[in-house]
Amino acid sequence: MMQRWIGPLIVGVVLAIAAYFVTLSRSPQTLMSAAVSRMERLGGINTFGHMPLATDKSRAVVRPSPDLAYSACPFDLSKGPLAISVVPVPANYWSLSVFQANTDVAFVRNNIEGRGQPMQVVVAQEGQATPAGAAVVRVKGGRGVALIRILVDDPARFPAIDAARRGSSCKAIAAG
Amino acid sequence: MKPLVRYLVLGVVGVVAGLGSAIYTVRAGALGSNVQIGPWTTGMDFGTADQSMRTRAVVALRGLLALPAREARYYTASVDDAGRPLNGRCSYRITGGQLPGRWWSLTLYDSAGYLTGGGPYSVESAAIPAENQARWTVLVSPVRQQGLWLPTAGLKHFDLTLRTYLPPDEGRTNPARDQLPSIRQEACS
Repeated sequence: MMQRWIGPLIVGVVLAIAAYFVTLSRSPQTLMSAAVSRMERLGGINTFGHMPLATDKSRAVVRPSPDLAYSACPFDLSKGPLAISVVPVPANYWSLSVFQANTDVAFVRNNIEGRGQPMQVVVAQEGQATPAGAAVVRVKGGRGVALIRILVDDPARFPAIDAARRGSSCKAIAAG
Repeated sequence: MKPLVRYLVLGVVGVVAGLGSAIYTVRAGALGSNVQIGPWTTGMDFGTADQSMRTRAVVALRGLLALPAREARYYTASVDDAGRPLNGRCSYRITGGQLPGRWWSLTLYDSAGYLTGGGPYSVESAAIPAENQARWTVLVSPVRQQGLWLPTAGLKHFDLTLRTYLPPDEGRTNPARDQLPSIRQEACS
């Protein structure tokens, strides 16, 4: 009687282990893709959306920092690389980070490392042609998020910071 | 029962069990549950290729777009110093000093990871007077308090995230217990 269940039991255990690891390995991509879609609905794709300071109404991402002004560029590289330009802002700390499809950070640089100078990078997948001389950030997967974080240690400074950050840009480069 | 039906039943049970276990593992995981320092949990490999499959999944759920350790360290507490879950109907005294980073902030979140309570939502290092940087106190309570205060909104559960930016040693070492704030429960209503 029991012997008839041994084969099905082994199959069940193997499928359980496989389902566990497939779910665990795919969930970051799924959650990132959902976040990219959410941001796309709020401000479009391959362009920076400049968010207000986070409040208890904010739902774009989990655990937003209320001390930071976020500008997010959800990107899709399926039609070509992305050019990002970040202008300095009047804040003690700001940074640009690029998150690839599996949520890993492909690039991060802050104003202190960059000596307060503007930053320009091109985000591209492996094999995509990029402009000569560009600082290239290679990512795995076509969808992700470029994020500017700006420290707002005094809310009175936010209007000036908000005005300045709008000089930053994020746009697709036509495939060459 | 026919053999094919037996394989089908246990196959479906296996897939559902594996799927459910993975979802539970991710949902039950704290942000940075691989290192425990007093009530604080943290990790050093967020956002990097070195992080485990589980860490990557938990960070994607609980702290998507987290920075790597060289830029910021994240410490999350869902219990007090005595190991009791943080309860929004209780008051807590958070006491700390100089923290390992160029600047820091302490933020209160609901159990889903969103801000709550109508503000203030966080206390950051610039709010601490210079003479108190070596010894400061933040009160966490459902009712307004004098001084630095974070409201709990009476939530059944909440947690605290401490962010330290530009940590020394590029975030490669964990601070000692006494370098991170203590969380002491006071009265409960």
